[in-house]
Amino acid sequence: MPVFDLHMIAAIVVISIVGGLLGLDRTAVGQFMVSQPLVAGPCTGWMLGDATAGLIIGIVLEMIWLLDMPIGNFVPADATVVTVSACAIAILGKPGGDTLSVISFSLLLTTVMVPLTMQADAFIRKRNSKLMENLLSSNAENMAQAIARAHLSGISAFFLKSFVLCLVIIPAGIAAVLLFEHLPGTAHHALSLFIKLLPLIGAALIARKLSIKSFDLFLISGFVIAAVFGFLFHVPVLIVLLLTVIAGWLGARYSEQRS
Amino acid sequence: MQSLGFAFAIEPVLRKLYRDRTEYQERLKCHMEYFNTQPYFATFILGAVMRQEEDRATGKDRGRDVSGLKTALMAPLGALGDSFFWGALKPFAAIVAVAAGMLGSWWAPLLYLVLFNLWHVSLRIGLLIWGYRSGGDAVSLLAIYNFTKMARLFKIISLTVLGSILGMMPFWRPEFRLEYPVSEVFIVVSCMALTFGLIGILRRGGSPIKLMLGLAIICLALAYAGVIR
Repeated sequence: MPVFDLHMIAAIVVISIVGGLLGLDRTAVGQFMVSQPLVAGPCTGWMLGDATAGLIIGIVLEMIWLLDMPIGNFVPADATVVTVSACAIAILGKPGGDTLSVISFSLLLTTVMVPLTMQADAFIRKRNSKLMENLLSSNAENMAQAIARAHLSGISAFFLKSFVLCLVIIPAGIAAVLLFEHLPGTAHHALSLFIKLLPLIGAALIARKLSIKSFDLFLISGFVIAAVFGFLFHVPVLIVLLLTVIAGWLGARYSEQRS
Repeated sequence: MQSLGFAFAIEPVLRKLYRDRTEYQERLKCHMEYFNTQPYFATFILGAVMRQEEDRATGKDRGRDVSGLKTALMAPLGALGDSFFWGALKPFAAIVAVAAGMLGSWWAPLLYLVLFNLWHVSLRIGLLIWGYRSGGDAVSLLAIYNFTKMARLFKIISLTVLGSILGMMPFWRPEFRLEYPVSEVFIVVSCMALTFGLIGILRRGGSPIKLMLGLAIICLALAYAGVIR
């Protein structure tokens, strides 16, 4: 059973720093998508010695939060903090092999924390938007230096936000996993099924945002192509994937010609 | 919102162009006004502003309305960039990578980064150069690159691949595979039907958090009712 010894505390702090650094990629620095769950999950998992758990968490959270877009003034869910925390909770809370139920439980726990991450993000954005106002009213002698300093301060605020959130969520989650372990096997079975059904929620969320139709023809054709080639002709899965990409491209060309 | 970043990016250019300190300060302050657009498309505006400032500093065209150019470009490019990058390219790269990951490929995260950043980085650099060369002529850019058409293409491919992910359920990673003593075809078709049911719930205003919590409660109820073991 894991305890909060020095090794665990060091791991939590290091992962929180990683969470803070990955979180910078969301809006403050670069935006190269390393902050996305599918990348951040395996990275965190690999650092903690279980890349597979990280990949599973990353896949699920990528599907769920993919189209929660930062359009206009809308502040989306902080999927990076959620992913890094879920991975750390699942791996540190159950060392020596993760069970699916613990991964599920960590996903559920961190999902409950999503509104908190959104509020923290909105607070930092509001604070950062005031930096320029302060700069203009300050009438600094060396404006270039003042801009650079304010810029760095904005980036640091984003780092601190993700770092502090991870530092709070991870230990609380690990403590909750310790309690979860005492629940009867039925609860564990339930959560093992839960994670298997989560990709369906993810698929529904993506389809809902990408298409205005309830029964999208392209979605159904992809399904049929995969089922026919996969089941009937036993074509290797990656070739089936390639075939659906080509089919989608042809479908787009066809619909374009028709319109 | 992004005015600080814009001022930080343009400052070295202004320092080089304006030797007179008062004029430099004045131009820098001019670029500290409100600015908000899609971050990747911001490079086009940055390039255009660089060109206009250059023309202004060298005396080629002293009356250039640089602020007006920024204001005119940021809203349409913001809307276009949001729908192309966040609404089409990112879902495309992510769904293809998720499909690879679901089917057991460990290189799915790398595929995501490559698919997205090939477009992202080349467009970011290309738009900076285009903006500088054209002096902010967005019409010529859109005449050559039809971002709306490309966005539609990416969305359609994403939907097709998403459908194929559901169609290949029996080949998913073992952690996600539903193994019950019924035919695989039945499981696949039921899951597709369940997905359409979830889409229907979402259309009536469901949120990801509510759906996840609801699903967890249903799973617990099924387990305690003895339906799943």
